[in-house]
Amino acid sequence: MTSAATAGAGLSDAEFEKFREYFYKRTGIQFTSAKRYFVDKRIDACIRGSKFDTFTSWFAALRLSERSDLLQELINQLTVNETYFLREDYQFDSMLRTVLPEVLEARGGLNRIVGPVKILSLPCSTGEEPYSIALRLLEEWPPIDRIDVEIHGADIDSDVLSKARHASYGERSLQRVPKKWRDKYFSPVGGGRFQLDEGIRGAVTLHQVNVCDTNAMRAFRDFDVVFCRNVLIYFDELSSRRAAENLYGAMRPGGYLFLGHSESMSRISPIFTPTRLPEGIVYQRPTGANR
Amino acid sequence: MGLVRRNAPPPEETAAPPSIDTLMSQLDDPDPDCRREAALGLGGADEAVPALLSRVAGEAEPAVRDAMLTTLAAHDTAAVAEGLAVHLATDDAGLRTAAAEALATMPVAVPAIVPRLLADPDHDVRVMTAMVLADLPHPGSQTWLAQMIAEDEHPNVVTAAIDALLPSLGPEHHDLLRAAVERFPEDPFLRFTVEAALR
Repeated sequence: MTSAATAGAGLSDAEFEKFREYFYKRTGIQFTSAKRYFVDKRIDACIRGSKFDTFTSWFAALRLSERSDLLQELINQLTVNETYFLREDYQFDSMLRTVLPEVLEARGGLNRIVGPVKILSLPCSTGEEPYSIALRLLEEWPPIDRIDVEIHGADIDSDVLSKARHASYGERSLQRVPKKWRDKYFSPVGGGRFQLDEGIRGAVTLHQVNVCDTNAMRAFRDFDVVFCRNVLIYFDELSSRRAAENLYGAMRPGGYLFLGHSESMSRISPIFTPTRLPEGIVYQRPTGANR
Repeated sequence: MGLVRRNAPPPEETAAPPSIDTLMSQLDDPDPDCRREAALGLGGADEAVPALLSRVAGEAEPAVRDAMLTTLAAHDTAAVAEGLAVHLATDDAGLRTAAAEALATMPVAVPAIVPRLLADPDHDVRVMTAMVLADLPHPGSQTWLAQMIAEDEHPNVVTAAIDALLPSLGPEHHDLLRAAVERFPEDPFLRFTVEAALR
């Protein structure tokens, strides 16, 4: 194979190495040689879809950020858009043990808090994340009996939002849900799928929004906790900066932002304050006091 | 008490953004949140560029300043690049770093000013230029950094350029790094940086 592989010809070893390094730097996702066939096939699909003739010309455009759509398509091809209930739930542990108690304290305490505690899951995909938050709160956070909590999910994709509204899931999505919770909150709907309790479905508000759209994001205000996991890595530098600015605007001063485990706000924007909690790093919108 | 639903706002509540004139006037609002949102809302408005550029240095709130820079950087024009590059020389560390980060996201306009920045008599400006080039997605970035390592007369600039080149360092750069150590034999930090890079 030559250094200028054409679509359908596969990558040379050198090209694969260059690509692997680039993709790791952009996303934190590392492909081993065992994934070579998978990567070759999907890059080939990207090259064909891009109208470039060779890996070299396609990769040059990708690296120079001339075409952000190339990176988006590449990520769509190379990431399995998989989510499931209670994914990376050490962050939900952090929310329950550390973040929400601090939110309550900052807002005057359990007896004096005014207005609901607001939690945003963005992107929420097919709903597993916001519904996981709801389940954890209902089952493991006693203060919920004494205060109001609003949970909002948002995504750019109307198809996944429809699925989130229907909230019917297969075994793969539910694998980490304890049986006791399954029995309590899910009902079989046939075909090996289970639908979430209507009360929880109805309590989570779903929105279609692009996190980079400043005007649309104006509708989001005063969130105490935001989960924005594994999405900023999809954006180029400017888009991720704008997304970070829009998330900042959606949060209450002192509010907490959870990113994906391979993401770092310090590479995107300096406007948030990193805070080390026992369960990991979280980012806070500065208050007037710590700005 | 418990989980409560708040209905999503109807589309009309979010459909109409404030006018450009309104947003421009809000840049001087005493409320930082209002100024920050105005700066973001001015994305894509060419007529707002001079107003934003003139306010960057005087804006006391870092979050507002960063919103201004995010909007300005998206323009990626010569006027914005020139307007931001002047801040690389400021004594305000937060401002010069923020300006460098914004310039690093402007691959269209910044290359034209790089030769002038590399020749700037202020070595601190050249150090900041290395920081810009570290993240600038442009095919010339590595070449400029190599040029700084090979030719710049100030060891701090050379060290900054080596640091900026580190993520893409290859065997082809090893001689360049060794030559830099030879040019500044009395500089322990430069030597340490090179030794770490060659490890």
